[in-house]
Amino acid sequence: MKTESSTSSRMRPEVVDGQLFKQALLGSLSWLTSNQEEVNRLNVFPVPDGDTGTNMLLTLQSAVEDIRESEAREISKIAALAAHGSLMGARGNSGVILSQIFRGFAKHVQGKQQLTPAELADALEEAANAAYRAVIKPTEGTILTVAREIGKAAKAAAAESNATVNSVIRAAVRAAKAATDNTPTQLAILREAGVVDAGGYGLQVILEGFLRTVEASDADQLLKAPAAAKAGPAQAALELPEEGWGYCTEFLIEGGDMDVEKIREEIAAMGNSALIVGDPDLIRVHVHTNEPTKVLAYASGIGNLTKTKVDDMSKQHRVILQGATPGQNGASAPKAEAAAAQPRQNGVGLVAVAAGSGLSGIFKGLGTDAVVEGGQTMNPSTQDMLKAVESVPYQEVFLLPNNANVILAAGQVPELTKKRVHIVPTRTMPQGIAAVVAFNVGRPAEANQAAMEEAAKQVQTIEVTHAVRDSRAEGVRVKKGDVIALINDKLKHSGQDYGEVVSDAVRGIGPDGYELITVYRGREAKDADLSQLTEALQRDFPNLEVEVQDGGQQHYPFIVSVE
Amino acid sequence: MARSRFRVVTDSTADLPEAWRKQYGIEVVPLRVHFGNETYKDGVDLTNKEFFEKLAAAAELPKTSAPSPGDFAEVYERLRKECDGVVSIHLGSNLSATVESARLGAQAVAGFPVEVVDTRSVTMAMAFLCQIAAQAADLDSAVAACEERLDRLAVLALLDTLRYLQMGGRIRKVEYWVGSVLDFKPVVKLEGGPIEPIDRPRTRARGLKSLLEHFRADLPVERVGVMHAQAPADAERVREELQKELPDVPIEIGVTGAVLGTHTGPGAVGLCYIRK
Repeated sequence: MKTESSTSSRMRPEVVDGQLFKQALLGSLSWLTSNQEEVNRLNVFPVPDGDTGTNMLLTLQSAVEDIRESEAREISKIAALAAHGSLMGARGNSGVILSQIFRGFAKHVQGKQQLTPAELADALEEAANAAYRAVIKPTEGTILTVAREIGKAAKAAAAESNATVNSVIRAAVRAAKAATDNTPTQLAILREAGVVDAGGYGLQVILEGFLRTVEASDADQLLKAPAAAKAGPAQAALELPEEGWGYCTEFLIEGGDMDVEKIREEIAAMGNSALIVGDPDLIRVHVHTNEPTKVLAYASGIGNLTKTKVDDMSKQHRVILQGATPGQNGASAPKAEAAAAQPRQNGVGLVAVAAGSGLSGIFKGLGTDAVVEGGQTMNPSTQDMLKAVESVPYQEVFLLPNNANVILAAGQVPELTKKRVHIVPTRTMPQGIAAVVAFNVGRPAEANQAAMEEAAKQVQTIEVTHAVRDSRAEGVRVKKGDVIALINDKLKHSGQDYGEVVSDAVRGIGPDGYELITVYRGREAKDADLSQLTEALQRDFPNLEVEVQDGGQQHYPFIVSVE
Repeated sequence: MARSRFRVVTDSTADLPEAWRKQYGIEVVPLRVHFGNETYKDGVDLTNKEFFEKLAAAAELPKTSAPSPGDFAEVYERLRKECDGVVSIHLGSNLSATVESARLGAQAVAGFPVEVVDTRSVTMAMAFLCQIAAQAADLDSAVAACEERLDRLAVLALLDTLRYLQMGGRIRKVEYWVGSVLDFKPVVKLEGGPIEPIDRPRTRARGLKSLLEHFRADLPVERVGVMHAQAPADAERVREELQKELPDVPIEIGVTGAVLGTHTGPGAVGLCYIRK
């Protein structure tokens, strides 16, 4: 290696201080942005919830949001801001674990001005430990394994006599890649699908972005840029924080047959840090722009806008226009107000995550005080849930995630609020409904917790959708487009029509001892599909009652509960 | 007829078994059921079967009303000639104006002791008190026997739908029970106050289970009876199940009358008991 000039000393730093850490994280954000779709594509399950990359990106974005303005030189300050921001914005399992990695890192560097290579390695190791501790049942072959291997490799590199910051991070990146590549040998589900773990890969990408900033020139030799990457990421990282940010503009567009790609391009052209996700029916927009009104005008020409939020980032002045433009189905809102009108005997509130206007309405009708929008493809953040918890007029609150991928993010809420928050770890919408049904105002929270968990256990959930690609999971072989049924989160049946597949699934559950089948109709389900399904169920299970409810959920034409 | 020391009076919502009425000479004052402009005396003008047939066919739900003070005064006046006093055991003031009517009726028969007992309960729980009172040695001990049990009376019920109870307005207002688009089987409890929502299972089988579980939490009991509105098979199942667990307690099965049926709707199964 050649001798360093003074200008490039940042590229070969002896220590990591607050500002370098900040720049490196911005580099990570940029690199992950470029690779987001790649991470999403690694989704192993043949249901359309390929959002790991998006979730991690949203989490990282939130981590970085808090540090952009900071001029702090102390690494402890920047790390603490990143930890807080990532925690508030944590989405999805991988996002939450990422936030725990930041947290462990921040905790370890508390009070420190800067980190030596050895200290950096210790912090990386401690970050992985914190992530392991945060997960109740750590699974190998996931982001956790990758985090641990990063820590190990960093420690080993730091122990070398000529260790530098670069050598430590470079070793960590190498270990991350090896660990990610190795995930299919650890998790059968990855092996069957022929992919590596998306969360692990996401963490690898983040660390690569970090390295690219710290060591721009050498990084190119080490890393092969994925094809998806368009702009030079290191360059982008430098561009990111330089310009004025204008207004952070966020909203949802509800419409039909929207062209996501086109809308993404159009809106991205109006600002930067654009993050436009969703599907033809619902798009979530996040963009930093100097002309928020132009963005809003363009979007309102496409569909209904909801959850509109415009933050003047320089003044930190927040204008919330929420509810100014109600969605297509605003029928559920008045019920929520009615539900909140009377204080409850036991002083305990209910907050649930629900996807779809119909399901929201059902939850509200059953006494849920606040419903957080989200579910399979739009995992709500810890902050979304925290806000909802804070909004209900009770000091003690039950929080129902109603989706396996939301449980972890929900689990972060209790420590962020003074309120007593109890999580009922519901994995599906019907489990959540069963739990809310079992809630009793005459009982204290502890007794309710037990009753709600028990009720959730007793309901069987069948989620019905279409396979997005040929795959094989849980021993079931499916072809792209097949109707598939997941029983309690596990792929169990596939076939050509809804009636056949759902009847098989009910038979698989064993209909004896059950009385009621409830069909929650999704947005995509046609009338003909519904009658085909209900006729099959009535024909095949004459002893069971079949009830149809409008769920309004996306991605699952039908969610069926058997109880 | 020899003058007895005292007599027991109750109202039609006690769902008093006919055998007890005859054995103890208990007087039953009917409440009223109004289908539109037609008024029926509970248990007198209308059999239970006729009532539920009319209920099913009615465009709007019937209304119910307490007996008038005059109805009570008439009964007390008649009994004055036959005994030295009356213990009048009635549908709870938390549910009906019946007790108030009985008190006013008692004032109209000056000089004749009428002790009105506000059970704050309904149906077989009242009937048990009537029987216990009738077996007492004298009026004072009859009243005492009732009063010492008032805090231990309970009625648990599984309804087929919330509709009737909700229309009747006797249940504690629980906004989240009435706003639901999902159907459920309400389990409610009456224990001296308003009718309390207890549980809302989505299926009847789970409802019956819930009913029994909540009952078990109140064991031991002195008396227990199973009531039903057009659900004899379920009532019998519940009785059999309970009899196995309580071999030494006689378990009655009773049928709810029209007034109570107006508030429960058909398909209700209830447990009425006196806790020990």
